[in-house]
Amino acid sequence: MASLKDIRAQIASTKNTQQITKALKLVSASKLRKAQNNIVNMRPYALSLRRVISDVAVTQKVAHPLMGQRTEAAKNVLMVVLTSDRGLCGAFNTNINKFTEKYIKENKASLQKLDFIFIGRKGLEFFQKRNIAPVDSITGLDKDISYKLASQVAERLLKYFLTGEYDEVRLVYNEFKSAISHTVVCETLLPINLGLSSFSDEINTAKFSKDLVFEPNAEKIVEELLVKHFDLQVYRSMSESVAAEHGARMTAMENASNNAKELINKLTLTYNKLRQEKITTELIEIVSGAEALK
Amino acid sequence: MKMTLLTPEKRVLTGAEVDSVVLPAHRGELNVLEGHTPLVTTLDTGIMRWKLKGSDRFQYAVISWGYCEVYPNGIDILAETADLPEDINLADAQAYIEKAKSRLATESLNDADFEDLARSIKRSEAGLEVSKYKN
Repeated sequence: MASLKDIRAQIASTKNTQQITKALKLVSASKLRKAQNNIVNMRPYALSLRRVISDVAVTQKVAHPLMGQRTEAAKNVLMVVLTSDRGLCGAFNTNINKFTEKYIKENKASLQKLDFIFIGRKGLEFFQKRNIAPVDSITGLDKDISYKLASQVAERLLKYFLTGEYDEVRLVYNEFKSAISHTVVCETLLPINLGLSSFSDEINTAKFSKDLVFEPNAEKIVEELLVKHFDLQVYRSMSESVAAEHGARMTAMENASNNAKELINKLTLTYNKLRQEKITTELIEIVSGAEALK
Repeated sequence: MKMTLLTPEKRVLTGAEVDSVVLPAHRGELNVLEGHTPLVTTLDTGIMRWKLKGSDRFQYAVISWGYCEVYPNGIDILAETADLPEDINLADAQAYIEKAKSRLATESLNDADFEDLARSIKRSEAGLEVSKYKN
């Protein structure tokens, strides 16, 4: 049985932990708000960009290697795994790692080549322990995700794709649903799929003027826009992942604070019981001592 | 004529009524007025300005790479960044230009880096220019 002093020390240390988890929760909550704003602010830009690309591509019948449609399944896949740099966010990183491991197991046999790029320290460390070396890794994304940073990452990914070594680039990340929920998604980043069912889609182009002027020319515009679109895709996924990370951390810290509170209650109860018992024993001793003197 | 100016990080203007827009377009300065022919063009780093309906003076912003789409009753501008005069820190911009220029002079850079650096110098210089016109 622990002594009174031990229990007191335990209560004090639990209280300290609780304070830390509470602080972390507040920090995550404010970061989450920022990340959510980012996502909302980006939406009109993304929609507008996508609309113009498909309009131009459809009306001008422009094809581009970046959005080539493949007939057979991809053979050489480059997998980009997006995790966080820091832990203490529940199952956030574990889910991603598990998903990726499963993916490896299921697809290893059917693919000629499966390589990885890890973004975020947690994923990198996890797979390094399992002797899976990445072709490239990017860590230290602790700060806020900016568009500039995302486009740098996007540029690196694009380079790998354009060497022709891979015919598909896939991205695994946590998609932000709400502060308390996020899901693991695996998306094909490249080649870009704009969801154009066919090049003769009349409905889409109805509003588009036939005698539109292009400067410099339609091909060049589509090419530049596609690269930007890809940048934006990467930026969006990274923002989603960051938002999900903060959400996950907030929930995890909330739970930790609650658990600490419960633990403190239990310990306090034991402490009081023990103290009462001690007083009772002392009283009995005094009373029986006095009785014996009579 | 309705004008929308968007960047990935913020919405600067959405559907504001304007009389005139001047852009740093692919082939040089482009002035878009009511009834302009439909057009899609890329934009360079530089200064853009627009005149709100009923206002008699221009408002300014520095944009980096972007494109604009002119349609019969409006114009959509998507830029990678858009700095308004109040966003620009003079001292920072000046310090940046000096640093970047010394890098250009001393370091040997590959083409892509050189272009990036030249572009960001252009952006900062445009920033200095624009900060004279407070909106």
